[in-house]
Amino acid sequence: MNNRLRIVIVDDHPMVAEGIQSILESYDDVEVVGTLGGGREVIAQLETLDPDVILMDLNMPDIGGLSATEIVLEQRPGTRIVILSMHDSPEYISSALNHGAMGYLLKDVPTDEIKFAIDTVMRGERYLCTGAQGSLTPKSGGARETLTNREQTILLQLAQGQSNKEVALALDISVRTVETHRKNIKRKLGISSTAGLTRYALEHGVLQGTGVDL
Amino acid sequence: MRFSVSGNSGPQVRVRLGFDYSADKAYRIDMLLHRLRLSISYGQKLMLLASVPLIVAVAAIAFVVAAQSRALADREVNALETQLIEAKKAELRNYVTQARNGFYFIYGSAAPDDEEAKQRVSQILSAMIYGEEGQFFVYDYDGTAIVSPRETDRIGRNFRGESDGEGHPVVDRLIEIARSGDGYYTYLWPKPSTGVPARKIVYVTSFPSWQWAVGTGVFIDDILATVATARAEVEDRVDRTFIYIGAIALMALLVVFATGLGLNLRERRLADAKLKKLTQRVFDAQEEERGRVARELHDGISQILVGVRYALDNARRRLDRGDPQAGAPLAKGIATLGEAISEVRRISRDLRPGVLDDLGLGPALRMLADEFGERTGTQMDFTTVVFRNRLDSDAKIALYRIAQEALTNIERHANATHVRIDLRGHKRGATLRITDNGTGFAASARTPGLGLRNMQERMDQLGGQFYLRALPGKGVEIEATAPLTHMLSPDPANTPEKAPPKPRKTAA
Repeated sequence: MNNRLRIVIVDDHPMVAEGIQSILESYDDVEVVGTLGGGREVIAQLETLDPDVILMDLNMPDIGGLSATEIVLEQRPGTRIVILSMHDSPEYISSALNHGAMGYLLKDVPTDEIKFAIDTVMRGERYLCTGAQGSLTPKSGGARETLTNREQTILLQLAQGQSNKEVALALDISVRTVETHRKNIKRKLGISSTAGLTRYALEHGVLQGTGVDL
Repeated sequence: MRFSVSGNSGPQVRVRLGFDYSADKAYRIDMLLHRLRLSISYGQKLMLLASVPLIVAVAAIAFVVAAQSRALADREVNALETQLIEAKKAELRNYVTQARNGFYFIYGSAAPDDEEAKQRVSQILSAMIYGEEGQFFVYDYDGTAIVSPRETDRIGRNFRGESDGEGHPVVDRLIEIARSGDGYYTYLWPKPSTGVPARKIVYVTSFPSWQWAVGTGVFIDDILATVATARAEVEDRVDRTFIYIGAIALMALLVVFATGLGLNLRERRLADAKLKKLTQRVFDAQEEERGRVARELHDGISQILVGVRYALDNARRRLDRGDPQAGAPLAKGIATLGEAISEVRRISRDLRPGVLDDLGLGPALRMLADEFGERTGTQMDFTTVVFRNRLDSDAKIALYRIAQEALTNIERHANATHVRIDLRGHKRGATLRITDNGTGFAASARTPGLGLRNMQERMDQLGGQFYLRALPGKGVEIEATAPLTHMLSPDPANTPEKAPPKPRKTAA
């Protein structure tokens, strides 16, 4: 059955992971190839597991689901990631999407939704848990797109004067990936030059308090 | 007080241990000093400041006064002594002159070897005793006593070389003075009446042709006693002056200390009362919160879970009976369980919003603002920089609680239609600013309530700053700044080798 979808479940609560696994096992067209306890494990075993879809818990003790999502996508951009969470507020959902997740699934939805979410993201569409669909734009305004964890790290390094190559080496990613991040940062901040990035970082206290001498 | 260890060969280790030991001791002393320093309160410092100069001034005054009065009295006593002694001397001289004049008719016409004349003069002189100790004496130039009416055993004996209690050759000196004319001599001599040595002053003159030294003396111990009494009185007076000054100073000090102590006690009592009130309010708030959570757990979740249990029980009974309708209560149970989960989520979010740990302060404030706007109908305006999760846990919770408190105040008092919340990082840290267009208040019109004090204290705790600007009719602006020390490098989770321990999760 080579055309079965390869699913990886990442959750530090074994009960939840097993529960989801047992629900998914009742479907013929999906196969749970791994249940892992943390973000770092999934990054390490990404090549071996070769997943189509990762169901990723949002808050885990080692590295959070959002950071793990970004790093997985840097390494295997085609992976569909659905964030699992107990929180239904728009802030969480937009943050998940901002970090590259395709779906956002509340853990206490009816169990049918899990499979539905997997099917939706496999079609290349976003899946957002029912009830949250319409409320993604905050009512209080000022909804500028925020930087992701990775982008903040890279902004700091660029602002410190490191080159794309150095950043790539430090984070163990390709120069092309750094370039992509850099483009996204500039787009989000509305800044076109690297000097502008440095100035922005300085003015907003990104460089301060990081042990960087100014 | 910590030293890195480099190298581990024997001698180096010994040296290091020695150094560490002394450093440790120095550290302990330093700690002790520190504790001592800490134990001097502001009030005590003030008291020291007041009393030390007072003591110094009083002591200086006492010494100057004592020295002055002692010098003055010394002069007086010395003058008295001189005067008394001079009077005695004059008296002695008069006696001798009188005596000589009295028998000049014998001496003046007698030849140097007129033994009969000498005999007569000796007899007259011997008879001229006066007072208790008064007598005339005569020695010839060789030192032989010729007249000594009160100690007659001396007559005819030679006293050259005889010395007084202090080792002076008294008779030799008297003869010497007589040879050179006349004069006074003071020496220590046993009183003939009691045999006790006492100071005696003597006037001596000569009958040159007979080679006699003639004189009379008087014991001056009574004068010396008078002078000594006078001196003692002076000392006494000086001592009394000291005591008076000391007593006055002591009273002044007591007044200073009593006042200080009184002030201190009053202050402490006030502070204690304030603290007690504050503690009570904190306890009250805590109890109220606990009561609320307990009620919510009991009235909400417990009841829901009981419902689930009934539903599951029902399903089991139906299954036992082989009833094909078992699915319905099961489905109901599952649905109800969902309710319990949302209830727990709500309660836990009220206690401590997980979004603060998961996404950071910005999203948490946005959620707070959205909820507030929805509930109260106030127009909310939230702006922040694009960075997030840059603050450490302490700063996040402090700023979040301040925002909560501020919104509560706005809801209760401000009657505002528009609230603006702004959060941004800058060169000195991160600042949260909340402005409303409500009624405001005159800052002087009321003492800050527990809420405002809480905000202030939260920022004090962080080493940050808290400002409140309020004017009647102009709304209120609060501004809380967390210092740079509470800022983290951009999400350290992205650099796993530096990842800090994540806060324990509450619900997932």
